[in-house]
Amino acid sequence: MRIRKKYLFYVLGILSSAIGAIVTIIDTYISVIYVKDPWALCLAIFLAGIIITFILCLILSIPIKGKSIGARIDPSFRKLRLLRKKELKYHLAAGIGNATATIAYFMIISLYKDPSAVLSFFQIVILYLLLIESIAEKNAPTLAEVQSSIVVTFGAILSSFSLKGEINFFGLLVVFLILNPSWVVFSIYQRKLKIMKIDSCYNDSINIRFWNLFFTTIFTTIFVYFIRRDAFYLAFDVLKYWYFFFISMGVTFFSYILYIRALGLGKASVTQAVKSLTIIFSIPLTFILAKITPVIVFESITHAIIKMIGIILVVLGVISFALTEVKAYIFIKAKTGYAASQIIDKIWKIKGITSVAAVAGRYDIIAKARIRTLGKGYERIIRALEKVKGIESFEWQSILKEWEEI
Amino acid sequence: MIKAYILILTYVGNLKVVLEEMRKLENIESIAVVAGDYDIIVKAKVNSLEELMELTDKIHSIKGVKRTNTQVIEKEIVA
Repeated sequence: MRIRKKYLFYVLGILSSAIGAIVTIIDTYISVIYVKDPWALCLAIFLAGIIITFILCLILSIPIKGKSIGARIDPSFRKLRLLRKKELKYHLAAGIGNATATIAYFMIISLYKDPSAVLSFFQIVILYLLLIESIAEKNAPTLAEVQSSIVVTFGAILSSFSLKGEINFFGLLVVFLILNPSWVVFSIYQRKLKIMKIDSCYNDSINIRFWNLFFTTIFTTIFVYFIRRDAFYLAFDVLKYWYFFFISMGVTFFSYILYIRALGLGKASVTQAVKSLTIIFSIPLTFILAKITPVIVFESITHAIIKMIGIILVVLGVISFALTEVKAYIFIKAKTGYAASQIIDKIWKIKGITSVAAVAGRYDIIAKARIRTLGKGYERIIRALEKVKGIESFEWQSILKEWEEI
Repeated sequence: MIKAYILILTYVGNLKVVLEEMRKLENIESIAVVAGDYDIIVKAKVNSLEELMELTDKIHSIKGVKRTNTQVIEKEIVA
């Protein structure tokens, strides 16, 4: 069967979000019925998860016709490999971030018992990324950015309302102070790992995933051992439900792989927008969950409506955030006496530049930029370009409309 | 694999027709309409310089194209 690439992208993106929703449902089911202690559950899931992920990575390393199965998912993947020294510190940071975020995630699941609300909480991460960017670069966020992050935050708070119309302050505290900050740490370092070069080839996502899980498991074990000694022993006891954990982590791995594959086909912003559909998928699944477990999702119609409005706001906010962007080509002429490769490296370090190419022709370098607004393009890119030595002149060409082969 | 940027200038009023023809061509990675010195920027992906010549020939033969400027990529860094 042949599918058009464009449809393949949407199929992969939507499949990944649907699977993501299923994982959260499975996790909620386990935490409601079998393992009520979130600390023990978190540790047990990682211990089982590292085993199943290792097996899956080994399967992906099997070469078929000179190319490993994994290479068909991520072209930079060869086989499962050992960690490089330069990756270590980033993996340590990402591991701490993921371990903390996951413990917080299971705490929230056991508090709210509502997957659709829990998935909304993860989207607040936008707000934090924006804050960090504003502080680190002394760069005021644009109206569109402020707007969509506020919409997402308020939406998540709305969907967190409890049955009696009360706000669970402890839960929100965990969401705002633990879950999202540690998730930010995790995503920043994961991105750093992704753009790192290993043997003059881009780092592949399958190895990153495996090693991240490895360090996350270590840190989770340490955290649980020192903070909740009783849960530590309980975790080994609940490992008898290993088949559930295998399903949860195995399915997570596939959701992740489909996401990576979609990312390779389409634009990151669109992929992110499609991924936010996870929340929508979780709604019908939450109802099914409410049927088979003693979980009560909502009590009255008013409560259901408030939750729905919250969820719609979150999805809308993420989509509008992902899709507002301005792109431009910059044609650069270099001065003689400067090595083009050095200028390229300097331009590549400017934030907002998505690709740089040395070309033969009228110009010397062509760069492509992606920013939120033209104002930011000036602040970030043009000012930075003016500082790069060796650039004689540059022309800015704003993209009005674009078609891409996906 | 050879990649190149083809910068295109069109005669006033022909942009839409040129774009429609352009989207039918093969070996093209992306097409962008820009505001600046050029009108359209095409990123081409071909197997050989000969294929690149065939592609630029095809673009030249589209009615409404005024001038093209091909920039062959020597080295590229992409996120």
